[in-house]
Amino acid sequence: MTPLLAARDVVKRYGDVQALSGVSLTVREGEFVSIIGPNGAGKTTLVNVLTGLLRPSSGSVAFKGRDVAGVGPVRLAALGMARSFQLVNVFPGLTVAETLSVPALARLGRAGRPFASLAGNTGVADSVAEMAELFGLADKLGRPVRTLPQGDKKLLDVASAFALRPDVILMDEPTSGVSTRDKTAIMETLVQAAERLGVKAIIQVEHDMDIVFAYSDRIVALHQGRVLADAAPDAIRADAEVVATVLGVPR
Amino acid sequence: MTGALVLAAAVAAAAVVPLTGRDYYATLMLPFFAYSVALLGLNLMFGTTGLLSFGHALFLAVGGYTAAYLGSALRVRSLEAMLVVAMVAAVVVAVPVGWLCVRYVRIYFGMLTLAFGMLFYSFLYKFYALTGGDEGIPVARPLLLGRAFGDLDKTGYLVGPYYYYSLALCVVAALTMWRIVRSPLGLSLRAIRENADKAAYVGVRVRRYRFYAFVIAAVFAAAGGVLLVVPTGLASPTLAYWTHSGNLVFMLLLGGFSHFFGPVLGAFVFIFLQDQVMSVTEYWRFVFGVVLAAVVIFLPHGLMSLVVRRVDA
Amino acid sequence: MIQVLNLLLGGVFHAAALFLVAAGLQLVFGVQKILNLACGSFYALGAYAGITAVTTALAAGVPPPLFVLVLIATGVALGVLGPPIERLLRTIYDRDEAFQLLLTFALVLMLEDVIRFVWGAAPYQLGGVYLLYGQVRLGAVSIPVYNFVVIAAGLAIAAGMGVVLTRTRFGRIVRATAENRGMAQALGVDMTRISTRVFTLGLVLGTVGGALVIPAGAAVNEMGIELIVEAFAVVVIGGLGSMRGAFAGSLIVGVLKAVAIALYPEAEMLAVYLIVIAVLLLRPAGLFARATA
Repeated sequence: MTPLLAARDVVKRYGDVQALSGVSLTVREGEFVSIIGPNGAGKTTLVNVLTGLLRPSSGSVAFKGRDVAGVGPVRLAALGMARSFQLVNVFPGLTVAETLSVPALARLGRAGRPFASLAGNTGVADSVAEMAELFGLADKLGRPVRTLPQGDKKLLDVASAFALRPDVILMDEPTSGVSTRDKTAIMETLVQAAERLGVKAIIQVEHDMDIVFAYSDRIVALHQGRVLADAAPDAIRADAEVVATVLGVPR
Repeated sequence: MTGALVLAAAVAAAAVVPLTGRDYYATLMLPFFAYSVALLGLNLMFGTTGLLSFGHALFLAVGGYTAAYLGSALRVRSLEAMLVVAMVAAVVVAVPVGWLCVRYVRIYFGMLTLAFGMLFYSFLYKFYALTGGDEGIPVARPLLLGRAFGDLDKTGYLVGPYYYYSLALCVVAALTMWRIVRSPLGLSLRAIRENADKAAYVGVRVRRYRFYAFVIAAVFAAAGGVLLVVPTGLASPTLAYWTHSGNLVFMLLLGGFSHFFGPVLGAFVFIFLQDQVMSVTEYWRFVFGVVLAAVVIFLPHGLMSLVVRRVDA
Repeated sequence: MIQVLNLLLGGVFHAAALFLVAAGLQLVFGVQKILNLACGSFYALGAYAGITAVTTALAAGVPPPLFVLVLIATGVALGVLGPPIERLLRTIYDRDEAFQLLLTFALVLMLEDVIRFVWGAAPYQLGGVYLLYGQVRLGAVSIPVYNFVVIAAGLAIAAGMGVVLTRTRFGRIVRATAENRGMAQALGVDMTRISTRVFTLGLVLGTVGGALVIPAGAAVNEMGIELIVEAFAVVVIGGLGSMRGAFAGSLIVGVLKAVAIALYPEAEMLAVYLIVIAVLLLRPAGLFARATA
């Protein structure tokens, strides 16, 4: 089976600094892959390259078999990959319902129509209702996003990525800034939403090791721009080098 | 719904003005209608999409000169023809200009649009043979829906059939823009204004939709430009000067760019205030400078924010 | 050949004044991130006030050859307007750029009428006092020595600015603030004082520019709003925030205008705008792009 996402020997240089030194990564259908590593390991750069935001200095990135190096977020969304952000990235002046409508319209190819009516758009309304329900925002649809508590904004950010019904979703620290008690709740919501919406693979960058070990099929450990290990959670736990550099003192 | 009632009352009041015999105020309403149409378009760019153009008067000039040229040089007197050709001309100009300009944002967009506006002004001013230079091109009295109203003198025409034509056009423009703002494109544009990067990530074609907004705004401005030159009977290069573009933005801010009817209110207050101030002092620019400064500092969402709770445009 | 030289000198003369205004624009943009539409108005103010000052000085018995100093002094004296205007602009520093642009536009409107009020609407001239310095004959063409004086003054000020920006503490603070405002603030730079000083300096550069250039011409009400477009062109070509860019840009614009007027008068400003558009499309950061935080 062709991998959904395949990065091969990706190198990314910024002047003298080499952020990524030959990273290869494949993600197949049905996988939940977590990317871990200390700060400065190149996780964000890798994510930016994987999501077509950055062109690699060398190496290739293929999504569903197509080269997507530097393709840009809009094109990538159309191809079926969505992304959510570590720092909450929202539309402060729009309502929750409007925020969820935008990706739905984009997905349905109707986002650019100047004379169509928003209200009569059943496909969109259904999508909004579904996403709101999946993410527990159904009672907040009419509220301006800027008035939401931080946790809800985070959920909305992720929900709007899911609203594209992508084949692959890449989440940058989905539980960052959230209290420990809520983390599991959020992860459960995400996984359920992914199942319901037919998302074929999930990639996340995460620091919380409990979450990483609880949900991942595979863990990719990054260190100084290189892949240190790429294996199932048990194998990672047993890998002393990874443990030392990334996980710290084992529990 | 109170909003709809207020609007209906406003339109009714406007319709009554010529009947009151106060011709002077009726003629002042004419540029108000023209600017309202143009500003509805400009606010699609600024209020809805977040793009500040300092060269929008370029398209007022395109409209004005098209009307003048059709009427004087080509002897086409139908106002409908003038409007249609002006809007087509606006698209022809806006497509390359807009395509270039929307690659940039913020200050660069402002500077680029200012440059294009002044480029057009320069062209209008210098190429005497084509454009009449600083003298401009006269605008012949157009036929309204095929009728000449030859029995009416200039004022009778302007305050009578032309007035109602302009009012109707203004209403049509408002309805059209209302539809656009409440369409999927309108929502996408607002998303772009709120957070362009995020919009891209959820699949919105940011550059393309900004381009659409630019072209639509140009079309509205050209229509407004046609309406603007008929009462004065002259299309002159000053239509495209950057300070004219600045005044357009002034009107937007004065009325309130966050509200759909803010621009219309802004045009109204600007024109009537200008008239009042000019009758008192020749230094109306100073007064207006103070007004603008006050609005920017104390009332950034314009007069509309005093009247209604903030509603997204 | 002589014609070419005459042409170039004319262009450089214009460039000198343009440089001063553009330098002011760049300084203010670099530190306060505001594009000051009123810089042209300061230029106009300098011109009008300069004429009045020289006329008064001459009538008061000041030796005529010193008129250049009177002009420069007038420009500097107008610096007193800097702090109050900066104080006004300070109210919207943290707001969206659109508001900042519009507040400076409000200034343009106000200053236009202030000038009209004080000096009237008719063109205002200094008469022939600038010819006092004599003329230089180049073949069939006579060039006033005064023009060279202005060019020299422009170069001197450019050099002076260079020294101030690179060798003095003030200059270092200005450059640091332009590069990274947050960092500069964290390191204890008094933003208020710097802003006031920089804005005043920018204003003075504009007023001196206007004062210096006016003896050879006439001051008209529209000179401010006409100049702003050229100043923008210079800033875009040279790169927002760059002094070197202001220098190069003004030379390019000044000479280009002179060439255009000579070859194809209709294309005078057209040529400049086309260059602006070309630069914005090909190298939007300008020829001397600078990184600003």
